[in-house]
Amino acid sequence: MITKKALPRRSFLRGMGVSIGLPFLDAMVPALSWAAKKPPVRLVFMYLPNGIDMPNWTPDYEGPLTTLPRILKPLEPYRDDILMLGNLTHNYGRGLLDGAGDHGRSCASYLTGAHVRKSATELHVDGPMSMDQLIAGKIGNQTPLPSLEIGMEDPRQTGSCDSGYSCGYTNNLAWKSETQPLPPILNPRMLFERLFGANADLTPEERRREARIRGSILDFVRDSTKQLEGDLGPTDRRKLDEYLTDIRSIEQQIERAAKDETPVHPDLPKPAGAPADFAEHYRMLTDMLTIALQADLTRVSTFMITREGTSRAYREIGISDGHHPLTHHGGKLDQLAKVTQINEYHAKSFAGWVSRIANIPEGDGRLLDNMMIVYGASLNDGNRHVHSDLPTLLVGRGGGTLKPGRRIVYRQETPFCNLHLSLMDRMGVEVESFGDSSDRLSGLETA
Amino acid sequence: MQDQTKPQVQAPDGGRGGRGGQAPANIPAPAGGRRGGAQAPGILFDSDMGRSIDTALALGMLYSLGPKGQLIAVSVSNSSLEAAAFCDAVSRVYLGSPAAGGLGRSGLPVGLAENGPKLGAAPMLNAPLEMKKPDGSVMFPQGIKDVRDTADPRVLYHNALLTQKDGEAIAILAGPATDLVGMLALKSHREVVAAKVGLLVAALGAYPSGTADPRVTADIKAARQLFAEWPGPIVAVGAEVGVAFPYAAGSIEADFSWAPVHPVVEAYRALQPRIHEATGQAMAAVLYAANQKEGYFKLSEPGTVEVLGDGRTRFVPSANGKHRYLIAESAQKERVLKAYTELASTKPSPPAGRGFRPQQVNQAADPAKAGGR
Repeated sequence: MITKKALPRRSFLRGMGVSIGLPFLDAMVPALSWAAKKPPVRLVFMYLPNGIDMPNWTPDYEGPLTTLPRILKPLEPYRDDILMLGNLTHNYGRGLLDGAGDHGRSCASYLTGAHVRKSATELHVDGPMSMDQLIAGKIGNQTPLPSLEIGMEDPRQTGSCDSGYSCGYTNNLAWKSETQPLPPILNPRMLFERLFGANADLTPEERRREARIRGSILDFVRDSTKQLEGDLGPTDRRKLDEYLTDIRSIEQQIERAAKDETPVHPDLPKPAGAPADFAEHYRMLTDMLTIALQADLTRVSTFMITREGTSRAYREIGISDGHHPLTHHGGKLDQLAKVTQINEYHAKSFAGWVSRIANIPEGDGRLLDNMMIVYGASLNDGNRHVHSDLPTLLVGRGGGTLKPGRRIVYRQETPFCNLHLSLMDRMGVEVESFGDSSDRLSGLETA
Repeated sequence: MQDQTKPQVQAPDGGRGGRGGQAPANIPAPAGGRRGGAQAPGILFDSDMGRSIDTALALGMLYSLGPKGQLIAVSVSNSSLEAAAFCDAVSRVYLGSPAAGGLGRSGLPVGLAENGPKLGAAPMLNAPLEMKKPDGSVMFPQGIKDVRDTADPRVLYHNALLTQKDGEAIAILAGPATDLVGMLALKSHREVVAAKVGLLVAALGAYPSGTADPRVTADIKAARQLFAEWPGPIVAVGAEVGVAFPYAAGSIEADFSWAPVHPVVEAYRALQPRIHEATGQAMAAVLYAANQKEGYFKLSEPGTVEVLGDGRTRFVPSANGKHRYLIAESAQKERVLKAYTELASTKPSPPAGRGFRPQQVNQAADPAKAGGR
């Protein structure tokens, strides 16, 4: 007979100025009631810049995923967790009556589903907010952070970044209102403190001083950790130990990164506290995102793998040319090969993250089972700025609401916003329409 | 008698849906000065392709309008892949393959109603589509093998209309109203229609009254809804106009002599010897849409088209009605038929470098078109 009171789902280890959310523990659910207490579904947009080398992304078959094309090879171990979606189109990314500026338009309309007003000085999308913020507005009160915006470069929010489109369009995915984007957090330390502390408003100098003084964040929650451990069974104690070890590891990475002065871009300073190495930087940020999702600190997140139109070089893999100039390869095979290499490199990093969340137990399954990760770009071919057939993977099982392991090809011009509607449904936010949606996507849950 | 003094049809709200109408807040306003020169009015063409040679000829006319009109979207309201494939094949004759920037001039795919009325045997479609060259390859290439190679007409029209300035687009309907009404059912799409479409020309019904038109009986509910809810003005083209001004289809081979082979000619041949003249209801709609002030037809007084339960249409005059219908005057017959012949069989010229032309997927890379920043 089970009489012990369950640990609340929203439990924290607390210390001075520090609050660490806990992952899903067995103690949070009385035995025999897992089915009734399903873990929440989480949604993440993992955004790729500058389109994709599509021939190396697109399988030549439909239905069950078997061998994946070159770029997606790193994800092969997780092909049963992937839905590849074909022919989704973002019409508002197109020039329509506004001329050049596909990068600015495509990025700003990606989650807003709306026309973007062309301006280098004022930001305005003709829609109420991005779909992630619509979700955050509806269910964000159930988590400490309504949403989490993360990015890897370029804090600029003003000035022209693309043919008369403001940098605010190319450097943000989330929009809280038609005029207010939510800039992503670029600084790992700032992200860490957003998740666990109350010091996010400190200047970099103050933050460094504070970090030197305090040592590890775990020191501040030692007492409450000990107290909690006494109430946990051996399985939960192991889970908690692994979780706190991960947090400490991130702290150490942040400390190392703070000393890294290597430049990543000839014209732009790298974000404060970020390592120069892409993979290391990505790993650090996704580790924190994992903890945020694992601890149910938020259920909605956007992650910009560099900004749209980025000219970042990838010297880590021997590419010193900027990404954006390379995508305008004009058919030059040597340049195209480098684009493919960058696409592969991103996919490899992403696969590493998927691997980590696939190995985190949650409920009677894995964290990945309760995730919906959209891994994709707002452009198809970056060379010609194609806005149809956007490269789109939906990774995870959406809490059992998705049947992955397949490639589905929809009719041409199917609005990308139809995917938004389908995702919002699964997040418990049902709306009649969003952006230029015409319907929900069919076939996501059935083979 | 020409009637060039008749005012253009005006919506009762003062022409909100016409030229100069303001787009609602979520519709992009035209960006002034970003495009040089006048733009030919964009035309949507929604037809029951496959039922008559009239619609095939009308489609040919639409590719030959020059500055008077630019076809921006083509869709078929029959649930027939062959009908969509035929439209695609015709498009490639006039505009070249997608790799050359063709396919519907707008660069958009062909629309196909998934749940539209069924089309029975259609030799005028199958004959050209199955025709082979001596080496065994298809005579008229087309890219539609599966419904996924087509677009939902509602989405297609929405996307095409957004390339147009407010009130400047024209919609031509020569089939059941199913697709257009489906578009009105989506709020955001309805707003786009209201803002962008200045005129709907509907080859549908008989006026001021007459027998039931198959295009109406195919979906009576949609026809009724179209005339009741379409946000802008409508000019209806009745079956009687098509009968009054028939295209002399017998001359089609001479008219198209510039082309060794042509899908419209092959479509016509497949229908022989059953037809000698093609009633020109759809052709009249195209001719009027692109030449509203040329006096080819007389316009009725304003009023409202009503759709009766048995599929017949009835025109009820009223001073503030949003509808009119075309009147065929015998004095114009020769002029109209000449225009049909010239437009339907015009030799295509290289596509002009204007307008909305998104690149097609998997084309050969073209550095000249790379829109770098």
